[in-house]
Amino acid sequence: MTTLVELTEVSKTYNGAGARAVLDQVSLDIDGGEFTAIMGPSGSGKSTLLNLIAGIDRPSGGRVTVGGEDLGRLNEGRLARFRRARLGFVFQFFNLLGNLTVLENVLIPAQLHGTRPALARARAMQLLTDLDIADLANRYPAHLAGGQQQRVAIARALINEPALLLADEPTGALDTRSGEQVLELISGLGREGRTVIMVTHDVKLATRHAGRVVTLIDGRIHDDTRLDGASPLPETMVKVRIDQEQK
Amino acid sequence: MSLKFGILGLLAEQPLHAYAVKTRFQDLLGGSWEVNIGQVYTTLQRLERDGLVEPAEPRGDRGRIPYRLTQVGHKALETWLAEPESGPQQLREEIYLKLLLAARVANGDLPALLSRQRRVYLQRLKDLAVLEEEARSIGRNDLVLLYQGALLHTEADLKWVDACAEATKTGKDKER
Repeated sequence: MTTLVELTEVSKTYNGAGARAVLDQVSLDIDGGEFTAIMGPSGSGKSTLLNLIAGIDRPSGGRVTVGGEDLGRLNEGRLARFRRARLGFVFQFFNLLGNLTVLENVLIPAQLHGTRPALARARAMQLLTDLDIADLANRYPAHLAGGQQQRVAIARALINEPALLLADEPTGALDTRSGEQVLELISGLGREGRTVIMVTHDVKLATRHAGRVVTLIDGRIHDDTRLDGASPLPETMVKVRIDQEQK
Repeated sequence: MSLKFGILGLLAEQPLHAYAVKTRFQDLLGGSWEVNIGQVYTTLQRLERDGLVEPAEPRGDRGRIPYRLTQVGHKALETWLAEPESGPQQLREEIYLKLLLAARVANGDLPALLSRQRRVYLQRLKDLAVLEEEARSIGRNDLVLLYQGALLHTEADLKWVDACAEATKTGKDKER
């Protein structure tokens, strides 16, 4: 696998009273096709890390490279084009535009990218079908449940067929069941070979779906664990101990 | 877990001989148990002695006696099922002892130990999720619950290891 995302000694400090490094010299390589979960307590820098990979934010020091493109060398216009073409971003609170229908929301990135309208529309409808929400195409976000809104956001993130999907607490605003369904969809994308980086505070979701768990604490990588997804033997995992009555 | 009440529970469904008790138990617990046929025989004999089970048929030549519950056995099972589990919590995992000692032994490298243990727990969460999924796919919802319990315990273990790491770090900060 080739490296898709490469962070080299990346730091981020926000100016203000008592400026503290939110990220402190973080180096991290992520291969194409990997599903990586970024974990850590509040304020550990996980969302900042995701925003730097997305080019939404720029580092105070170090280098962020995505698909061989050094984001620090791109001006704002080229960075915006890069984001549209190469990245999909799913947010905790969906960030859908309330005055547009589901279909129109999904089409926005394609329109900005200059995709032919007929092709964009066909792709959007296919995505809505894949995500099981084709019947909601002409509804407005306010009329949808949280899980449905997040599906729309996933379709929007995928419309330009990005190599990299970034998700920041994608289940954070959903009930357990909707969250599981959304995560199933996202890990399905991972199985299809798309690279997924997901920020979450839920370790059970992270280990269930991701093949790698990176834990940040105080802006540094505290742990980086690759997980084996092979099926284990039950007795090596859960040992029900049977005691014999001594009477 | 009590083998005595496990056997009573299985015999409440239908009379079984010792070997059938063993295989039913294995199936019930999804291959995650630890008891041998000798224990089953001994326990059945004790239960018979105490009047909780009785042979369902006259003893045959081959010694395969199907047992069934007596009225007293039914009563004992009902009482056991109705009682909440209130014994002391068992902290049997060796990691607890290791951590307690690593903190006392001069060269005990606690942060490294915690880090390694953390990885084991992360992998365990993944493995249990795989098993839970497999149990769900074959419709064994009772085993799904067993694995969900193990997942929650492991999640708690992980939180505890992280709390230990945090406490160790805070201790070091104070030393500075």
